[in-house]
Amino acid sequence: MARADTCFHCALPVPANCDIRVEIGGKQRPVCCPGCKAVATLIRDAGLERYYDSRDRPDPGAVRPAEDAGEWQVFDREDMLAAFACRDGAAAEATIYVGGMYCAACSWLIDASLARLPGIRNAEINPVTHRLLVSWDASSMGLGRILATLADLGYKPQPLAPDSTERPERAEQRTALKRLLVASLGMMQAMMFAVALYSGEFQGIDADMERFLRLVSFLVTTPVVFYSARPFFAGAVRGLRARRPGMDVPVSVAIGSAYVASVYATYTNGPAVWYDSVTMFVFFLTVARYLEMRARHRSVDRSSALASLLPNTATRLDGDRRTQVPVAQLAAGDIVLIRAGESFPADGSIAAGRTSVDESMLTGESRPQEKSGGDSVVAGSVNLDGIVEMHVEMTGTDTTLGTIGRLSERARYARPAFVQLADRIASYVVVAILVLAAAVAVSWYLIDPDRAFVVTLSVLVVTCPCALALATPAAFAAAGSRLSDLHLLVTNGNAIEALSRATHIVFDKTGTLTRGMPEVVETVAHDPGFTEQECLGIAAALEVASTHPIARAFARHESGLTADALEIRVGSGVEGTIDGRRWKLGKAGFVPGTAPMPPHDATTQVFLGAGERVVAAFTIADTMREDATNTLKNLEKMGYSLSLVSGDSEVPVARTAATLGIGDARAGCTPDDKLARIDELQQQGEIVVMVGDGINDAPVLAGADVSIAPSHAASLAQSSADVLMLGDSLQPIVTLMQAARRTMRIVRQNLAWAIVYNVSAVPLAAAGFVPPWLAAIGMSTSSLVVVLNALRLSRIR
Amino acid sequence: MNILYLLIPLALLLLAGAVWAFFWAVGSGQFDDLDTPAVRVIMDDDERPPEDRKE
Repeated sequence: MARADTCFHCALPVPANCDIRVEIGGKQRPVCCPGCKAVATLIRDAGLERYYDSRDRPDPGAVRPAEDAGEWQVFDREDMLAAFACRDGAAAEATIYVGGMYCAACSWLIDASLARLPGIRNAEINPVTHRLLVSWDASSMGLGRILATLADLGYKPQPLAPDSTERPERAEQRTALKRLLVASLGMMQAMMFAVALYSGEFQGIDADMERFLRLVSFLVTTPVVFYSARPFFAGAVRGLRARRPGMDVPVSVAIGSAYVASVYATYTNGPAVWYDSVTMFVFFLTVARYLEMRARHRSVDRSSALASLLPNTATRLDGDRRTQVPVAQLAAGDIVLIRAGESFPADGSIAAGRTSVDESMLTGESRPQEKSGGDSVVAGSVNLDGIVEMHVEMTGTDTTLGTIGRLSERARYARPAFVQLADRIASYVVVAILVLAAAVAVSWYLIDPDRAFVVTLSVLVVTCPCALALATPAAFAAAGSRLSDLHLLVTNGNAIEALSRATHIVFDKTGTLTRGMPEVVETVAHDPGFTEQECLGIAAALEVASTHPIARAFARHESGLTADALEIRVGSGVEGTIDGRRWKLGKAGFVPGTAPMPPHDATTQVFLGAGERVVAAFTIADTMREDATNTLKNLEKMGYSLSLVSGDSEVPVARTAATLGIGDARAGCTPDDKLARIDELQQQGEIVVMVGDGINDAPVLAGADVSIAPSHAASLAQSSADVLMLGDSLQPIVTLMQAARRTMRIVRQNLAWAIVYNVSAVPLAAAGFVPPWLAAIGMSTSSLVVVLNALRLSRIR
Repeated sequence: MNILYLLIPLALLLLAGAVWAFFWAVGSGQFDDLDTPAVRVIMDDDERPPEDRKE
């Protein structure tokens, strides 16, 4: 649960002078702002308080109240319904991407809140893919009401066009589940008949009954081979065609040859059938694939990730008429109106007006950029204070944002592939076993034809590579589930192997090592009539209406003063009246008595003035995360080399690097530069881990050997990352690196055990010292040892 | 032991039935979300009248 000084709803720190409380569960709970109070009250009044008991640790800042509810009314219009929903008479069905949800409690909250709306027929929410499929009676309410309900709860809803609704993942997941079930049922049945056949070997069996049991085994094995094992055959064919045979090839050979040999033996009444081995092998491999696929599907959906950075609608100007249109309908040449606080829907240039723009997510530049007539703006950046008209030049995938998306896609394919050692060994072992079994059968046939069958059987059973096939997936699954308890979501199965071999960790600065949020770091009162606290309170009151990031620095110093007649001076500051006095807050040159200064440092100077005098000066800077120094020290102790690459300018980067003791720091990097730097390190033989959160980090996250993104990261960055860190600290990286090393140690133990067992058991079995029943016990014990060893990983702290 | 010639095919029929039922369940989306239902059971005590939710 949240500490006393953090917000009960969103877990951000409660500002010093803020005393807003909400009664939940019979107790007064502190919250950090009126928005959080509104959301918490909404949840309480709807009788949904249990959300707070069942959610995972609150994710700081993830679920924040919506800023503008009016936005959603547009979606009540008929043409919007046509664009985003499928109609069937009065019933409508729409798919909505719900940003900001991470746990099952969120999905319950959404479900329960929607059920209270009139006319809702069905709402299905998938917490893994963040998609909500809702069907409702379109005559009783519009789509806007549903979106507004979600936004009121603090999520970021985004209606998806019907053509993008059917995710391939869902079909893939369903098919994989069916294949797994067929394999498991087939395996159980085949094993059962195999037991009958084995015992028949000892006690004697009717020739007819033996034929019958073999035929039945054939019937249950055939679907396993042709349905469950199809991906292996398809993969093998693909691999051979591309002249890059993977592990699917030996697997297919093993399955195929054992199956064909068994069918032949069934038909000709031959000495042995291997149906049980075939089904068991397919089953264990299918389980491993299924676990890996589920981890992969956890990663953030790319198409939605890109789109969620853009607004849903834009205000298009046709002459004097303003029309709200979906962003997808914008075309080059349109003129669009962008209000303060909105993000730009497309690439283009400013046609009229001036404003400052926050491009930090795209470039890493931590300070707002001034833009006026003719300056270019990029989609996804945020318009901070002025109202501007924009001339649209590029839309959709042609934008800078789209290019970054493509760049990260390409980098992902180009990343060094980690060959799955265990799988490869396992598949070769299978081929070796088949060859060996054939050799044993022939030899014993020559020595003692009566015992040939039993000995061959023992060899086959005792050498079943289950332990080998299970060694890696069992350890990865155990580590993955334990790490998700520790708020580290592993979305790529190979990430752990790569992490354990990592040598070099590269950090982004803005938003990763620093908070990415400006804070007042120094206050100097020039007027003895005011204390520093009072000055901050006045500044906070003046900044109330501003959406500028500087304003956020003051928000936590609010002291209950209210300012009237607020005026925002674009690019300079704000003015307002408090208790009859006219105050000015802004940059040097705007406040009387200060001389304009060129911006030159990581910090921003803001001045507060009344009349002709300067009352106070504030220094505002992006502050370091509290645990950054500690985390980096620990990582250095563990033997990793550390680097810093940032899109921010020289001075702040150098200063951060000096504070944290990072020797290798690069400033002013574009996404391409960052990627080039990673490539360079990889050329030198380093295994590179990248930690970053911005959109400009997405390509480099995808290109690094392993990548980690915090949960507040841009969704594009998240979709490129292998591991997501929930929560607001860097310390989990240390846990993650330790866990990865430990996991690989367990994997190596497992592999060693499996190999030692198989190597020592085979000669004994081949020599005829192991009866089949003992072989069966040995095989199961060996698999059990591997699984139990993997389970030790669930005690990672 | 001749009874096995009847019982095993019967068991296979049951197996086919089970596979069919599972395929139907997967197809109707019952396995799409494996996380929420576990929590839902804990949260949905009947504090509110059932007419809240109409199917």
